[in-house]
Amino acid sequence: MFKSMKYVWSENINNLYRIKSISKYELLADMRDSKLGIFWNFANPFIQVLTYYFVFGLVFNKKAVDGIAYMPWMLGGMVIWFFISPCITNGCNAVFTKLNVITKMKFPVSILPSTVSMKELFNHGCLMIILVFVFMFYGWYPSVHWLGLIYYCFCAVIFSICLSLTTSVLNMIARDTRKLILAIMRLLLYLTPILWSIDNVKRWPLIHKIMSANPIYYLVQGYRDCFFFHRGFLYYWKSGVCFWVITFILFAFGSYMMYKLKKKFVDMI
Amino acid sequence: MEYAIEFEHVSKIYTLKSKDKKYTNDKRFYALKDINFKIQKGEVVGILGTNGSGKSTMSLVLSEIADVDEGEMKVNGSSALIAINTGLNQQLTGLENIELKGALLGLKRDEIDKIIDGVMDFAEIGDFLYQSVKKYSSGMKSRLGFSINLYLNPDILIVDEALSVGDKGFAQKCINKMMELKEEGKTIIFISHTLKQVREFCDTAMWIEGGQLKEYGEVEEVCDHYSEYVSYLNHLGKERKKLELDKKFEKRLLPSVSKESFMDKFLRMIKSN
Repeated sequence: MFKSMKYVWSENINNLYRIKSISKYELLADMRDSKLGIFWNFANPFIQVLTYYFVFGLVFNKKAVDGIAYMPWMLGGMVIWFFISPCITNGCNAVFTKLNVITKMKFPVSILPSTVSMKELFNHGCLMIILVFVFMFYGWYPSVHWLGLIYYCFCAVIFSICLSLTTSVLNMIARDTRKLILAIMRLLLYLTPILWSIDNVKRWPLIHKIMSANPIYYLVQGYRDCFFFHRGFLYYWKSGVCFWVITFILFAFGSYMMYKLKKKFVDMI
Repeated sequence: MEYAIEFEHVSKIYTLKSKDKKYTNDKRFYALKDINFKIQKGEVVGILGTNGSGKSTMSLVLSEIADVDEGEMKVNGSSALIAINTGLNQQLTGLENIELKGALLGLKRDEIDKIIDGVMDFAEIGDFLYQSVKKYSSGMKSRLGFSINLYLNPDILIVDEALSVGDKGFAQKCINKMMELKEEGKTIIFISHTLKQVREFCDTAMWIEGGQLKEYGEVEEVCDHYSEYVSYLNHLGKERKKLELDKKFEKRLLPSVSKESFMDKFLRMIKSN
């Protein structure tokens, strides 16, 4: 078990340049693919936010949450969802889409989940730039508390890599994994307190507990804390511990599978 | 004498899906069966064989991409399979592709900078270097891919049908470059259907037939026997040829095992490591 974790860890660390180049050129190829290029990296999330604004802001006329207007409150949590969601769905396909490479050359397969997350990290950066302007429009200016975002962003990257290690291998064994993940992600968007406040389920303590243990919610509330509440990391230590335990289990399991099957992918097509 | 590659009773087994999914068992099939040989350092070996005889599986095993199922394989030094079109991205320019493929193959930034001039020179694609690869002709693509590979520096080179692309001039240029590598003392495994190239370039040859090693020795001798066999096969009537091939196929089958469920297959893979 430890051997496999060490293996995946050192393979990733030793191949940082490879990870960087692959994600860089893949982004570039994506942009060249369309006429407007980088515009879509901004436009897609923007349109989605507009939809939610129309539905929840205008039609349902949602009230302010914890003293913060609904729109910035929702966006503060939504922004990390826009990062983690493509990370998970694409991460699942990480090995499969690179089949032509791994069947033709000796290649450290376990770095593939990292390349997907790095690629999405760029899109996340683009979105954050838009968000800063939107927040300034609503009267929230960048402050020193925003530095906490770096920690939560780091958490999100690690979490998505660890999860993708597992799902990308499972997806090689059975392509059903991706379909399952897609369905779950669609569900999770509404089951995670992103569009609604977790206080709404306080009436049911069990559900409230499960919701707080959701690693994605840890990131969502962390982002919101950095933007608005400024309570600090320690305030959420319970969710934090839960998050890191889940992440570690995923890493252990994912690297075990990766290590065991690293030379079998060729035969799995 | 030092050996670059040693095979001891190496077998590679594939599972075949049976026609009738529900009732019959899955067949297991030897892609390579009980192969033994030793290749000396600095030797240039040609691998011959008809279609489906296991040459490509051999190249996958040799380059350590695929695992062997039985037996033991020892490789002393780094090996690399020359893969022509893989890793080329249609949207990127030739230059960006050199950088990307270099990175895919595990080169560092400064190593890529070092080889870039040589690759540009060798590929002879001129100003197309700054065009996206989707505008390339197929010959240009393979030239680019092949050039990047040649400038890697492994101890053992495995070339699988790589020269069948590109025109004669380029093929000759590749042979010359590989000659240079040969002089440097690299071990080269050369898989080809073109007997002329094999005779010209290799010291020894290996003939694989039906997943088994049929002959391994002096290049001229093996090539003669192989071409005799090919013309013998061609002279057989349709019926007899089919019979012959079927017989060969039967020999490669393993006693069938009961159909594996998903979980069994998965567990077997984990355990076999």
